[in-house]
Amino acid sequence: MILVIAEHKDNKLKPITSELLAFAQHVQRDFGKPITAVVLGSGIGAVVDDLKAKKIDRVLAADHELLSEYNPDSYVEVLKAIIEKEKPFLVLIGHTTQGMDFAPRLAVALRKPLIAGCVEYEKQGDRLVLTRQIFNAKMNMKTIPRGDLPFLATASPGAFPADEVESGGNAAVENAAVSIGTTPRRKLLERVEAQKGQADLSSAPIIVSGGRGLKQKENFNLVFELAEAIGGSVGASRPVVDAEWLPREYQIGSSGQTVSPKLYFAIGISGAIQHLVGMQTSRCIVAINKDAEAPIFKIAHYGIVDDLFKVVPALTRIFKDLRQA
Amino acid sequence: MKIISCIKPVPDPASRLVINEQKTWIKDQDLTFVASEADNYAIEEALRLKEKHGGEVVVISMGGEEAARVLRSGLAMGADRAIHLLDPKFKGADEFAAAATLAEAIRKDGGADLVLAGVQSDDLGTGMTGTMMAEFLGCSHASVVVGVEANPEGKSLKARRELEGGINEVVELQLPAVLTIQFGINQPRYASLKGIMAAKKKELKVWSAADLGLSDDAVGKAGAMYDVNEIAAPERKSKVDIISGTPEEAAATLVEKLRKEAKVL
Repeated sequence: MILVIAEHKDNKLKPITSELLAFAQHVQRDFGKPITAVVLGSGIGAVVDDLKAKKIDRVLAADHELLSEYNPDSYVEVLKAIIEKEKPFLVLIGHTTQGMDFAPRLAVALRKPLIAGCVEYEKQGDRLVLTRQIFNAKMNMKTIPRGDLPFLATASPGAFPADEVESGGNAAVENAAVSIGTTPRRKLLERVEAQKGQADLSSAPIIVSGGRGLKQKENFNLVFELAEAIGGSVGASRPVVDAEWLPREYQIGSSGQTVSPKLYFAIGISGAIQHLVGMQTSRCIVAINKDAEAPIFKIAHYGIVDDLFKVVPALTRIFKDLRQA
Repeated sequence: MKIISCIKPVPDPASRLVINEQKTWIKDQDLTFVASEADNYAIEEALRLKEKHGGEVVVISMGGEEAARVLRSGLAMGADRAIHLLDPKFKGADEFAAAATLAEAIRKDGGADLVLAGVQSDDLGTGMTGTMMAEFLGCSHASVVVGVEANPEGKSLKARRELEGGINEVVELQLPAVLTIQFGINQPRYASLKGIMAAKKKELKVWSAADLGLSDDAVGKAGAMYDVNEIAAPERKSKVDIISGTPEEAAATLVEKLRKEAKVL
């Protein structure tokens, strides 16, 4: 069996859950194993119903008041018991801030392999080979887990399209026996929404985004000038914000804003998956980067492989001229 | 508070990486190694917590001469002492074997109130090792931390975790604890000349697998949980239209295509 650990929030499945189910359905076609979705929480009827409607074999609901908020200690305890009882072939977890908060502990508790951040898989004979990205997505590493089943894998958000998940099932629902014996060593105090500043980019039609390739803060003027000439908004990748060239509110990517403009310029952005998940649905993506191997070119529609310090001012001049014409 | 900060040596980000003949890793013999970037944020956070609450900061790293190098830079930043896990048997460790070895060394050093590590490394980059250490040590943890408020007297700590979509959560942990530190939590300091000179006089312990009481099959490649099948450059899937010419020509062609072909302007 393939065990999928569902992630949910406010009584709704998170998009990563559909991605994991799409991943599981591919593996099912290749290996002929049934799919069980496991959901942990308290009062999770609506989430169970959503899972039931997907084309899977079974939903296992671990419904317990102590699971009303996510906690790594309780998650590890409950999931370890379920995995030891169910003896799955593969356990799929989201490579998210929640999944990666408990999956490494769970793997150690079970003494089983965890292949984290998977973006692809393939069948080699009867073996499942999982691919993950290394060196900031410059290379792919194919891995073969050792030892007896099961093994655990986390899937990178955006790697397995959520819209490929097949619905139309009528999975059997079972309640898992939950016993939580340990007191969690970690307590959730509060969850806070980060403030949306003036840089709300969710409805911007054109975004000009800059990355580490700009080398220093002062050079970011090139991005602002192009944005002004074209009538677009400015965005940034994570390293730019970490280096304090721009405030956090400009950040696009998994821990910043998700955008989908009609035109997106990625300037000096290599294209780490954390950035790609925040902008890959843009209608037209233009990448300007001197490194032809940069992963951004895998999702870009147009690319210029050259020195951004020459290309960007040239573009700005053309747009200025067009405006005046 | 006693704080242990873990540092992973990784190839300098400016290096040109070449895959080895067996396609199992990169050719790393002639590369320059530096501390993985996120680990610098962890060291800085450790030093700030010490400055506020007193105690000591110990830096720990596993590897050959490259590990000694990043430890010296940690000492130069202001750490009090260092532990170098040096043994040919440690080579080829995955995250699981590395976490097991680091946890054993931390235990041998008498434990710590707080163990810090970067959220992910610049090479494998999966963000597993820190959290795995917490399970080996049997203590609490928080991952992707962007803020720390320690209460050593109360044996507790508040950590702010960064979640997806610009949401943060604040959690309270019992000490001892492991934190994986997110990029951007602080601005790591540079080592001063004085710091570099002072580092030379600081204690640097060297421990092997035998010193840690770990068997050969628990460390390095033998202790890993997976094998590397193959490393390769990613396949290009999209049909990106690469526009050639001088920068001026390419810019003009691009604008033309955006207007006439993609029709987004």
